[in-house]
Amino acid sequence: MNGPPPDVDLGRVWISVAAQVWHRRPSRLERVATRLLRSPGLARALLTTPSLLLPWLIASVVVLAAGAAATLSSGQPVTALLAPAVAAAAIAYSYGPGIDPAWELSCSMAVSDRMVLLARALAVFAVNAVLGLAASAVSAVSAAAAVPASGAAAAVTFGWLIPMTAVCAFALAVATVTRSASAGAAAGVAAWLITVLSGRVASGRFGTAATDPVLFLPYLAVGAGCAAIALYASRIPGGTRP
Amino acid sequence: MNVDITGLTRRFGRHQAVAGVDLQAGPGVFGLLGPNGAGKTTLLRMMATVIPPSAGRLRLLDRDPGAYGPRREVRRRLGYLPQNLGYYPGFTVAEFVEYFALLKEMPAARVPAAVATAIERVDLGDRARAKLRTLSGGMLRRVGVAQAIVNEPELLLLDEPTAGLDPEQRVRFRALLRELAQQATVVVSTHLVEDVGAACSQVALMDQGRIVFQGTPAELMARGTEQGTGDAPLERGYTAVLAAARS
Repeated sequence: MNGPPPDVDLGRVWISVAAQVWHRRPSRLERVATRLLRSPGLARALLTTPSLLLPWLIASVVVLAAGAAATLSSGQPVTALLAPAVAAAAIAYSYGPGIDPAWELSCSMAVSDRMVLLARALAVFAVNAVLGLAASAVSAVSAAAAVPASGAAAAVTFGWLIPMTAVCAFALAVATVTRSASAGAAAGVAAWLITVLSGRVASGRFGTAATDPVLFLPYLAVGAGCAAIALYASRIPGGTRP
Repeated sequence: MNVDITGLTRRFGRHQAVAGVDLQAGPGVFGLLGPNGAGKTTLLRMMATVIPPSAGRLRLLDRDPGAYGPRREVRRRLGYLPQNLGYYPGFTVAEFVEYFALLKEMPAARVPAAVATAIERVDLGDRARAKLRTLSGGMLRRVGVAQAIVNEPELLLLDEPTAGLDPEQRVRFRALLRELAQQATVVVSTHLVEDVGAACSQVALMDQGRIVFQGTPAELMARGTEQGTGDAPLERGYTAVLAAARS
């Protein structure tokens, strides 16, 4: 059997073949993310966010659908109360050493971990806001079909976005500072639970924490403060741990 | 000099892990030896820009990584294998290496060939499409090396790269190190003095956060003629220098 012609570099040929065979073709979503973010690395990092993977999204949809059903049957704004907690857990599990096994490596990459933090946090927030809005809208439309609509319906449908912002920022700050996604998720959910129960005690209604406009300004202040803490904590790589 | 370090210090609370290290390194393999807790990993993490120094001057590839722009440029030209390589169990070998090639901001068109080359260089071509959770410890170590070299780094930092490799793989790996060092500065932290003897042109020995010896492997061997203990000349040099530093 004859060997290859002397001017053919089989190693080079194999690398070309392997490059084509092993290369993972980016999905349409990844191509869109690459265009939007102008960075293939950031787009790939975004699409590997644990709380944006399909099982997590399905779980979120199931929880919010159950919330919408409970809203319809009980008349209580269950969706508005669930959405911030679901989003807080998702955002705590979007970024950081607590959820990223290759965190140490990621901290030495040209695409900075802070950019990954921003991209993931914004994407998770947006996805959860859309899911929550969809669940709220279903509840509101169904309720309006049964009872004539009122201005309160809009408040219940959209009002929780502001407390959700605050709870998400709080969960992210705790997750970033403690370097633990579970601590962030637990803190976010606990803080929201305490807020809801406090509202219940003060006003006699469960929905107060999500719908009372008086609370919106404090929520925004908490959200801004916690976002600043998260950014500061991610600014100091490695913190003070050996 | 690709690595230019003066008075580098890193504290963790009250503990000083690295205490005023001076180090210069150009192309070649630079071995970093020392007992557990000597500060090798902390020094490497600072050089990898993972943690900032508490004090001192650090210049990598003629840049100051303290500022965002130069740090990003250094990171594009850096390869780093941490002591504990975290990995995504559901990724294949090729996906893992490709992911970090993209995070190093390699031009996307160059990535597939670079990934294939890196995987072949660590002899994992036959496992390129295997999930990482199916690989042995030694294979995972080689995956870690592949992601470190995928961008053909000018500065390659390897923390215990031969841990878990069998003797045959270690021999091949040393050959790879020598090949890489023709163009790049390769800093290897290791406990295994035979790796240093076989692959390194320069060696530094750390103890309690300080560099207590710097020179060639032959010079380290020469230190072992009087009071060192060990089975090999390098081991005797290693123990003699440590004993002298602690006395």
